[in-house]
Amino acid sequence: MTFDAPKPAGRPEQTLAHNMTLLAHHELDGFGGLGEGIAMQLTDDGRRVLWLAHESAPKNFTGVDVTDPRQPRVLVQTELPHMKVRSNSLDVSGNLMAVASQVLEPGMKPAGFDLFDISIPEQPKLISHFDCSGQFSRGVHALWFVDGKTVHMSSGAADFEPHNPLDDQFYRIVDVSDPSNPVEAGRWWMPGTRVGDSEPQPARLPKQFDTGFRVHNANVFPQQPDRAYIGYIDGGAVVLDISDKKNIRVVSRWNHSPPFNGFTHTVLPLFDRGLWIVSDECVKEGGGDWPKLVWVVDARCEANPVPISTFPMPPVSVFGKRGGRFGAHNLHENLPLPMSFQSDTIIIGTFFNGGVRVYDTTNPYQVEEVAYYVPGTPKLSPAGAIQLNDVYVDERQIVYTVDRFSGGLYILEMNL
Amino acid sequence: MINSSPSATARDPLAGKLPVTLITGFLGSGKTTLISRLLKHPGMNRVAVVINEVGEIGIDHDLVAMSTENVSLLANGCLCCTVRTDLQNTLRELFGQRRAGQIPDFDRVVIETSGLADPSPVIQTLASDTMLGAQYRLDGVVTLVDAVNGLHQLEHSPEAQKQIAVADLIVITKEDLAEPSTVAPLIEALRAINGHAVVRHSRHGDLEPSELIGLGLGSARAGSGTLRFLGELQTPGASGSGAYLAQRVPGRHDAEVRTLSLRFEQPFDWKTFAAAMDMIMSLRGADLLRVKGIVNVQGEPVVVQAVQHVMHPPVTLDRWPSDDHQTRMVFITRNIRLETIRALFDAVGAICA
Repeated sequence: MTFDAPKPAGRPEQTLAHNMTLLAHHELDGFGGLGEGIAMQLTDDGRRVLWLAHESAPKNFTGVDVTDPRQPRVLVQTELPHMKVRSNSLDVSGNLMAVASQVLEPGMKPAGFDLFDISIPEQPKLISHFDCSGQFSRGVHALWFVDGKTVHMSSGAADFEPHNPLDDQFYRIVDVSDPSNPVEAGRWWMPGTRVGDSEPQPARLPKQFDTGFRVHNANVFPQQPDRAYIGYIDGGAVVLDISDKKNIRVVSRWNHSPPFNGFTHTVLPLFDRGLWIVSDECVKEGGGDWPKLVWVVDARCEANPVPISTFPMPPVSVFGKRGGRFGAHNLHENLPLPMSFQSDTIIIGTFFNGGVRVYDTTNPYQVEEVAYYVPGTPKLSPAGAIQLNDVYVDERQIVYTVDRFSGGLYILEMNL
Repeated sequence: MINSSPSATARDPLAGKLPVTLITGFLGSGKTTLISRLLKHPGMNRVAVVINEVGEIGIDHDLVAMSTENVSLLANGCLCCTVRTDLQNTLRELFGQRRAGQIPDFDRVVIETSGLADPSPVIQTLASDTMLGAQYRLDGVVTLVDAVNGLHQLEHSPEAQKQIAVADLIVITKEDLAEPSTVAPLIEALRAINGHAVVRHSRHGDLEPSELIGLGLGSARAGSGTLRFLGELQTPGASGSGAYLAQRVPGRHDAEVRTLSLRFEQPFDWKTFAAAMDMIMSLRGADLLRVKGIVNVQGEPVVVQAVQHVMHPPVTLDRWPSDDHQTRMVFITRNIRLETIRALFDAVGAICA
C-alpha cells in the first residue's frame, strides 16, 4: 500500500498550465538569469529579435532571434565591465536600444544608460553613454524608451543627495533625439526625500518593508503624452503632468501602504476605460511580504483614484513556501509599438513562483484569471522554484517570459 | 444573445474551458476494459478520469503516486477520480482542488457513465450548470457498442438508442466474438440512427487517448476542427433522411430514431431561429435526442447544439469554416419527420417576417 497522505500539488518541480502552451524554452547558453527588460525589434531584413536584459553580471544583454517562436536562436550576448554593475532594464525603439546600468554601491561606475545602434543585431554599436553616477547614485534601475526620442527613467544623479540612501532614484526625462548627445529634459522627485527640501520627509514603512521612496517604472504613452505613470515604490502610484518638463506637477497620488507592505512597481493606464492596473513587487521570499497584488484602480477622476478590485491570486497556501518569492511583479505594459500586444482588457503579468498569468479585466470589479503557466523548477535554480520575473507579449499573442536566476526564456502561446 | 464577431484580441469563449469526454456504452460493451487500459496509457498524462467505482477498474496500488480522498495520481500522470455524491459535485470539487493546488493540474476530463444510463442528463448538466459551464465544455461523446449483442440492445433499449444518438464517435467492440453476418446490419442500424458520428472498430480496448479528443467544438475560431465537429469533413452535408437505411434493417418495424439533415438557403434572424427551436424543444424535447449545426444568422456563422430540452450556449464563430454559408443542421429525432421540422421553421419564419 503506497497511498501517501494528501499532498498539495505545490511541488515546485511540477509544471502547471492552464490555457497556455509552451512553444520553446531557451536557457540562454547557461546565463538564464534575466532582469526586467524585454523588448522586440523588427530588423531591416525582417527578423524579429527579442532583447533581454540580464538580472546580474557578468552578462549585460542578450539578443534572441524569435522569428520562429518555436526555434529561438541566440544572436548575441554581451558582457558587463565588472561584477558590481547590472543592466536589468532595456527598451528598443526602431534600431535604437537603451540599456540601463545600475551599480551595487553609490559612487561606482558605469551608472546611467547606454544607447546602442542595433541595425545589425549581431553587432550592437555603442552610440553614447548617459552618465548618472555620483556620490549618492546607484544609476538607472528601469527605463522606458518607446518614441525614439525620450528616455523616461528611474535614476540617481550626481547632484541629488537623498536623506535616505534608499531614495536615490527619482524620475528623470532625457532627450535622446540626438542619440550621440543625450541631455536631461526634466525631473521630479517626491517632496521631502532630497536634502534641502522644505517639505517634511515621508513617513517610512516598518523596517522590514522599507524599500524606499524611489521610482520603479515611469511610463509615458502617446495616447496621453502629457502624463507620466509612475510606480514610486513605497510612495505608491504617482501620475505627473509633464506637459511642461521644466515644471512637472502631480495630478494623482494613490498609495495602499500602509497598511499594505509597499513597493508599487508599475502603473499601467487603460485609457479608454479610465482604469489603472497597478502592480506591486514581491521582494521577500517564502511569503514574507504577502500579499503583493495587482490592483484595479478607477481613475476616471484623476484627482481621486479609487481601488475597486485586485487580481485573483493563486492560493498562498500552495505557493507561499514553494520556493523563492511569490507575488506580483511585472506586467506586459501595452507598449505603443507595432510589435507589442495591446489590449484594454487582457492583462498579463509575472508572479515569480506563481508563474505567468493572464487576466481578463472586462468586468473590472471581478477580474477573471483565464490562463497561466508555471514552469517546473529550472535546473540549478537557487530558489528551488521558478521565479518568473518579466513578461513581454508580441502582437501575435506570443508570450515571452523569463526566470530571474537560471531558467532563461520561456516562449508560450495563449489559447484565448 | 449573440455576440458581435470576435476581434483579434477578443477572447475565444471556449478556449479556456476544460474539455470533457463522455464514455458511454451498452452493458458488456467493454467500457471497463477500455477505462482500465486508458488509466495505464502514457498518453493520459494530465487527464482526469472520473469513474464510478475503483473496485471494478482495479488500479494497482503500486501505480499510485499520490492520493487524496477520492483522487489518485497514477504513475503515468493520470488522475483517477471516483464519483462521490454526484457527478456535478465531483466535477466542481475536481476544479476546486485543481485551483487550490490540492491535486496537480489536468488538461481534460474523461467521464465513464454507467452502462444502463441515459447519457443525456450528463450532457444537459454540462450545458446548464452555470459554474460547470464556466469551467468545462463537452468535447464529445464516445459510445461503445458490443458487436455480439448490440443489435438486440438497440432494438429493445431506448437508452441504447439514445447512447447512439448522442455519440460523436461510435466504437464497435468484441467483433472477434461475433458472427461476421451480424456486424453489417449493426452498422446499418447505427448509421440509421446517427448518420454523422465516426464509426470505429476496436479490439480489447485498443483505443488511443488521442482518438478520444477534439470531437467537439473547441474554439470559436473557425477551422478544420469546426468542419469535423459538424461532420462535414467526411460527408458533404447532403439533405435528406437516414431512415431509408433503417427501413431495410431486418426485425425493425419502423425507423423510430433517425438522423435528419436540413439545409436552409435563407439566412435567419436570431429571434426567428430561437423561436422555432424553443417551440420544438418545448413540445417535443423528449424526442429531440440531439441537434447540432451551423446557422447563418444575418450572415454570421453561429454553431448551435441541443440535447432534448436543453440548448448549449450558441457560439458565434469568427468566420465561416468553408465557402458554404448556408444553414446546415442535423436533428436526431424519435418519431419526428424531416418535413415537419422544415414546415415548422417555415411557419415561424413566415410569422416573424
